[in-house]
Amino acid sequence: MKSREQEYKEIFIAEALEYYDALNRHISELERRPEDDKVLAEIFRLLHNLKANAKAIGYLQISDVAHKLETAFSLIRNKELSFSDEVVLVLFDGIDLLGELIGNIDNPEYGEPDHVLIRNLDIIVDNLSNSTIELAKVQRYNSSKNLSLSELIYIQIKKLDHLLNLVGELMIDRDRILSISRDLDHDELKSVSSHLYRITEDLQYSVMDARLVTVGSLFNKFPRIVRDIATAEHKEVYLELTGQDIQIDRNILQIITDSLLHLVRNAITHGLELPEERKKKGKPREGNLTLSAKNDRDNVIIKLEDDGKGIDLKQVKKAAIEKNFIPADAAAHLPDEEVLSILFEPGFSMAKEVTEFSGRGVGLDVVKNAIDSVGGRISVNSSKGKGTTFTMQLPTSIAVKGALLFEVNEIYYAIPLIHTESVVSIDISELHEVGDVLLADVKGENITVVYLHELLNAPEHNMRLGDKSRLSGQVQNIIIVSYNNRKLGLIVDKLYRQQDIVVKPLSKPLDTIDLYGGVTLLGTGKVCLVLDVPAITRYFITKR
Amino acid sequence: MNKGKPDETATEQPKETVATQKEAAPKTNGASEQTIHLVVFKLGTEEYAIKIEQVKEVTVTPSITQMPRTPSFIKGVANIRGDIIAIMDLEERFRLRPAVNDGDVLGNTYTLVIEAKDYSIGVVVKEVPQSLNLPVSKIDKAPSFLQDINIHENYIEGIAKIGERLIIVLDMFKILTVDEIKQLTGQQK
Repeated sequence: MKSREQEYKEIFIAEALEYYDALNRHISELERRPEDDKVLAEIFRLLHNLKANAKAIGYLQISDVAHKLETAFSLIRNKELSFSDEVVLVLFDGIDLLGELIGNIDNPEYGEPDHVLIRNLDIIVDNLSNSTIELAKVQRYNSSKNLSLSELIYIQIKKLDHLLNLVGELMIDRDRILSISRDLDHDELKSVSSHLYRITEDLQYSVMDARLVTVGSLFNKFPRIVRDIATAEHKEVYLELTGQDIQIDRNILQIITDSLLHLVRNAITHGLELPEERKKKGKPREGNLTLSAKNDRDNVIIKLEDDGKGIDLKQVKKAAIEKNFIPADAAAHLPDEEVLSILFEPGFSMAKEVTEFSGRGVGLDVVKNAIDSVGGRISVNSSKGKGTTFTMQLPTSIAVKGALLFEVNEIYYAIPLIHTESVVSIDISELHEVGDVLLADVKGENITVVYLHELLNAPEHNMRLGDKSRLSGQVQNIIIVSYNNRKLGLIVDKLYRQQDIVVKPLSKPLDTIDLYGGVTLLGTGKVCLVLDVPAITRYFITKR
Repeated sequence: MNKGKPDETATEQPKETVATQKEAAPKTNGASEQTIHLVVFKLGTEEYAIKIEQVKEVTVTPSITQMPRTPSFIKGVANIRGDIIAIMDLEERFRLRPAVNDGDVLGNTYTLVIEAKDYSIGVVVKEVPQSLNLPVSKIDKAPSFLQDINIHENYIEGIAKIGERLIIVLDMFKILTVDEIKQLTGQQK
């Protein structure tokens, strides 16, 4: 695969050539209608972007020429230079030179740009309109000689979505064919299907790759946003960005955009203290905000850290009791993680006042829902006085998910690996009936356990989640899932393998049933239901 | 098994009716009498029908994967040619008493795949569905007596009468309205 730099360069060249085409179009138009301010403004914009892009990637010759042209056009705009024949000629030459430079980025043979032309440009820029200095003749570039089309095409994300869906369908059929060919034990069929396997795999990764964008495309919008919020809140904030090069599916990034914005606002308005306050606490006046991305196996971890005042667990507990999220007596010995997880409950807010940027009743639950919808996880860590960290774990791609397959009541189910913590087998004697639930000691940690068959299939009025006698067999297979800092063990009938699955969303009218994140077809053609861990956890809590 | 496959036995008599209608009608509406093509099936003890345009295909019911915690009228999901669609039991939906003598000796049931605007849904029926051509005028739209029956009249496009037979014509697109879908999620809680 090409290196990232190579890819950036190609994108730059393709864009630059587009700018070049547009410049040619507009300057020809300007020649006909020199008074048209709109055209002039457009030329200005194009040159400015080209200059900035070239400078950013290090093509100084291009940014130089673009800068000179930009200056010339600004003089024309300010009526300090007339758009006369002589000037027009030089400007046309200048734009052609840009085209030549762009076209020769990859050509090590290409030396210096034409000195005469550069001098002409300098003359019209420096000597204003009263100049009588000769503009030297330059050899005209023949712009009609080599016409070329851009190496880059724009494509609607919708088309890529469609392509990805088709690939998903293809993979399901591929798995089916592979399993049939194994059953038939036909050598030729086996070799064809394994070839098919490799091709579809290649195809899948190519399509996934085409959808990847850098996290930076979102991160780079934040310096300005942070500045604006900080100014409005009278705070001093230093924003540090890392990992902008990490790549992620465009749609996933799109979906978390609002969430990230929300978290950043919260961090500045509620997290970071005012400069004087920070000074009193012995912190630097300027608050630190770090937005970072990194890869973690198949996932991307996005972290937002601040060194502000942190979340006051006592305040959270108090608010939770006041708003009846938890009973007062239970609050006292609630573990810290559970207290923090209340922050993500719908309708929970600690904001006392509404400011322009925060506290408009949009709570963290909205953030959580967005992350859930792409199959990601979010967690929060905070220590009082030191700061808060939000960690988002996101899948790199939507299409394929690693999942754990299992069976309950002769129905196949899958749970995405992103939600599974571990799998354990324990003897039924190690399960304890505590209150209305079952409890198991897993590696020194007390974990609530529920028999999925009971939770899913028992009549709702007769559900007994804390009754061991409902279990069958001696050894129980437990999948430990985690959602919102809470762990829950799910007892399943049979545990199968770990497998990459293509999740198909449920079609109407079933799409409103949130217990299932979708379905997938197994190689055998059997339908497998994909359990939605957030929904199953919520369902368990309401039934407990 | 695709469209058109259901038995065409019932179509002959109605065609004659079409002819007589044609002679009588022109004076009043100037156009020839339209016919309507229905797929007829049994639910409970009554005959029901759906317009053939709404039926994508008729197939022997494939293996259905149950979905726990969905309303009882959702039998589950099934894989029909790579599409995974919901399978609905209209007898449950309308709370009908199943017929004592359950059709097919082999115990086979059939599934009508209904194609709505943006999704498909399967409807399970017990006997082989039949196809039937009828003049539009044979269908009594929105009869008033329906208000006494426990089926919401919204779904019912009309009642067709052919001799002794009474066929309830359903509008499948209205079987699952927005309210229904809300109810669907409500029950799951």
